[in-house]
Amino acid sequence: MLRFLGKRLLQIIPILILVSIFIFLFVHMIPGDPARLVAGEDATIEDVELVRKELGLDKPITEQYITYMKNLFQGDFGKSLKTNRDVSYEIGERFMPTFWLTVWSMSWAVVAGLIIGVISATKRNKWQDYLGMFGAVSGLSLPSFWLGLMLIQLFAVTLGWLPSGGMDSWKSYILPAFTLGTGVAAVVARFTRSSLMDVLKEDYIRTGRSKGLNERRITWGHGLRNAMIPVVTMTGLQFGFLLGGSVVIESVFSWPGLGKLLIDSVAYRDYPVIQAEMLIFALEFILINLVVDLLYGILNPQIRYE
Amino acid sequence: MKKTYGWLSAFVLVLLLVLVGCSDSGSKEGATEKEGDGKKATKEGKDLVIAVADNFTTLDPHDTNDTLSNSAEKTMMEGLLGFDEKMTVVPLLAEEYKANDEATEFTFKLRENVKFHDGTPFNAEAVKVNFDRLADPNSGLKRHSLFALIKSTEVLSDYEVKFTLSEPFGAMINTFAHPAALIHSPKALEEFGDEVGKNPVGTGPFKFVEWKPSEGLKIVKNDDYWNEEFPKVDSITFKPVSENGSRIAMLQTGEADFIYPVPTEQVEGVNGKNGIEVDSKPSIVVRYMAMNTMKKPYDDVKVRQALNYAINKDAFIKVVMNGQGEKLDSVIAPDVQFYSQQELYEFNLEKAKELLKEAGVKEGLKAKLWGGNSSSTVKAMEFLQQQLAAVGIEVEVVPMESGTLSDKIWSVQNADDAELELYYGGWSPSTGDADWGIRPLLGGADAFPPKSYNVSYYDNEEANKLISAGLQTADENKRAEAYADVQKLLWEDAPWVFLSADNTLAGKKNYLKGVYLLPDGSLSVSEAEIE
Repeated sequence: MLRFLGKRLLQIIPILILVSIFIFLFVHMIPGDPARLVAGEDATIEDVELVRKELGLDKPITEQYITYMKNLFQGDFGKSLKTNRDVSYEIGERFMPTFWLTVWSMSWAVVAGLIIGVISATKRNKWQDYLGMFGAVSGLSLPSFWLGLMLIQLFAVTLGWLPSGGMDSWKSYILPAFTLGTGVAAVVARFTRSSLMDVLKEDYIRTGRSKGLNERRITWGHGLRNAMIPVVTMTGLQFGFLLGGSVVIESVFSWPGLGKLLIDSVAYRDYPVIQAEMLIFALEFILINLVVDLLYGILNPQIRYE
Repeated sequence: MKKTYGWLSAFVLVLLLVLVGCSDSGSKEGATEKEGDGKKATKEGKDLVIAVADNFTTLDPHDTNDTLSNSAEKTMMEGLLGFDEKMTVVPLLAEEYKANDEATEFTFKLRENVKFHDGTPFNAEAVKVNFDRLADPNSGLKRHSLFALIKSTEVLSDYEVKFTLSEPFGAMINTFAHPAALIHSPKALEEFGDEVGKNPVGTGPFKFVEWKPSEGLKIVKNDDYWNEEFPKVDSITFKPVSENGSRIAMLQTGEADFIYPVPTEQVEGVNGKNGIEVDSKPSIVVRYMAMNTMKKPYDDVKVRQALNYAINKDAFIKVVMNGQGEKLDSVIAPDVQFYSQQELYEFNLEKAKELLKEAGVKEGLKAKLWGGNSSSTVKAMEFLQQQLAAVGIEVEVVPMESGTLSDKIWSVQNADDAELELYYGGWSPSTGDADWGIRPLLGGADAFPPKSYNVSYYDNEEANKLISAGLQTADENKRAEAYADVQKLLWEDAPWVFLSADNTLAGKKNYLKGVYLLPDGSLSVSEAEIE
């Protein structure tokens, strides 16, 4: 087990190097001249050239890549072209807000999704199932910016219970976490339902029933545990996506997160920030995948790691 | 199982609340209108929150090229001169100024007994340090180009300073009033160096407290401000809120006292309700469609005029700008210095068709219209497409993402290679002077891309002469004359289809006074006051 973990962790390094090359190339392939964008709308060509030199963008691309990698190995992501602050500062500022929002959204969404999924599966084709799936389909199809604005209208403007945006107190988390989690809850519910329905048809469930186990134990203990593998995979993926930050949620709730930063950086061709963010996303996905793999082993002891 | 039903019902309840919320907001408008109309909103305390659309990029005015960051800088720092509500130049840290007739020497008499926030006295030496920094070609500052002409800055006495330019530049006074010319404390410049953009120290009515790029900027009252009348509020917090609807909600809930901008389509919905007022003011942003005057058939003035006649400008403002704008009646907007009004090209399809016929343009002329890809720009371009179809011009709308667009336009080294035919764009001359509203856009071959923004590739000898005449003197009358002539000429020669001048739209609670937008789109909060 430990050997497996060590091996997987070591594998991260070559993957990241490969990813960094791709990111670097792709970022520099996007059309658009960062020097001009940084210099601004009414800059003269002299300004633009000055900015280009200042940013080191006048050097050949291979040289730029080597400098970038050299700095990267020393843990230096460079400076943002737009704000001239350290990229590590720009990302550091926004990482925790995105992280906590993701954690809270995922927590309620997974719990709610599981409960709805299990009820729908056990009460198949009864009103509970229809209601649950109606909720899930609605959750998936409501555009999150619309849902977000409606929640602001109701809870902030009309009722005045919650702030309309920003990140000032625990109250600020409620609306964005709810909005962000809605889609996840819906997906979890649907996956749980279909997976659990398959499992409940299995022979060992029938055996359990004939043995006289009570229904709750069968569903929640034997059934759900075996139905969890696809749900865990899916949840892991969703977790990774949310950690990347959601532009829509962050814009609607003025949340100081990573998604907005990425979009802004792309619009500005802020190469160092885009590169660093992409690299972090890649790392997050790798780690989440590792955790998901480990969870498989816990859920199904038949899965062994060498 | 009971527990799970509890969860389920909770979920259903929330879902229902959401649905109620939707129907509620539909019916609510009528109700609040009744109770909110004319009602005065109230506020406790003197701490303002202003929600703006974007993050600030820096707080170093010398290195700033966005109006929003300029707005923040102006609260803490001041220049020798500034602009008032109408973009007229007013003295600020200078009491008087004079220029020689050749527009090469500018002398300022400075205000005495002014101190920077760090206690450093404001004097001629401080001015020199700042302008030496701006004029230094190795500074790498984004606003260096505005001050590159300064050959020397001399301290004549403690409170007198003289600038000498390397060549005549009649628009220099406006450049001194530009937010790029705000003055840092020399001590801060020395102490912080390049980091001064995170540690602004000036003479302004407010002092810097904290700036987190993603969360906003906080400033507090400067108790030692030289103008004892101000400031009248204790603190101001600027928050970046990029989503239009959320900004409006903050104003409705009172989480913000002032928001900018208000999207044109929301004006009707909020104005006069919940103690909210929307200020709509003319700006100096002009909208136009440039035609490449080196390409057929746009090299013929008849065709260019025909296109001007073919567009219904009233409809453009109504449809594209939601009524928030004015018809453009010169190459620059009315609040730009030396503006002179021209006679409109009235919408006239017959005349347009006739002119096209005279020019030998046949039905079915194909044209490509380039522009950005924001929804408002695309809407504008589609409007132009539809209008030009009526005179038999088939326009293909080509929206492009900003980086791609600038690549397409500014990677062209030779004017003859330019692919560009029609271009929809806008311009705001940040110095508020006619020169910056005309020269970069239509100032002959010197302004062709990639050097500047003359995407019409317009090069008219007479116009070039007049544009340069406007810069050869600091004599206001002579400048006005040159610009009046060039505006008339450009209007008749029509390198653009002249469309509109934007309005700026800001929303505020009706207890707030003294916060307003200048025509250049920058915000003035120095005189903020709560009633």
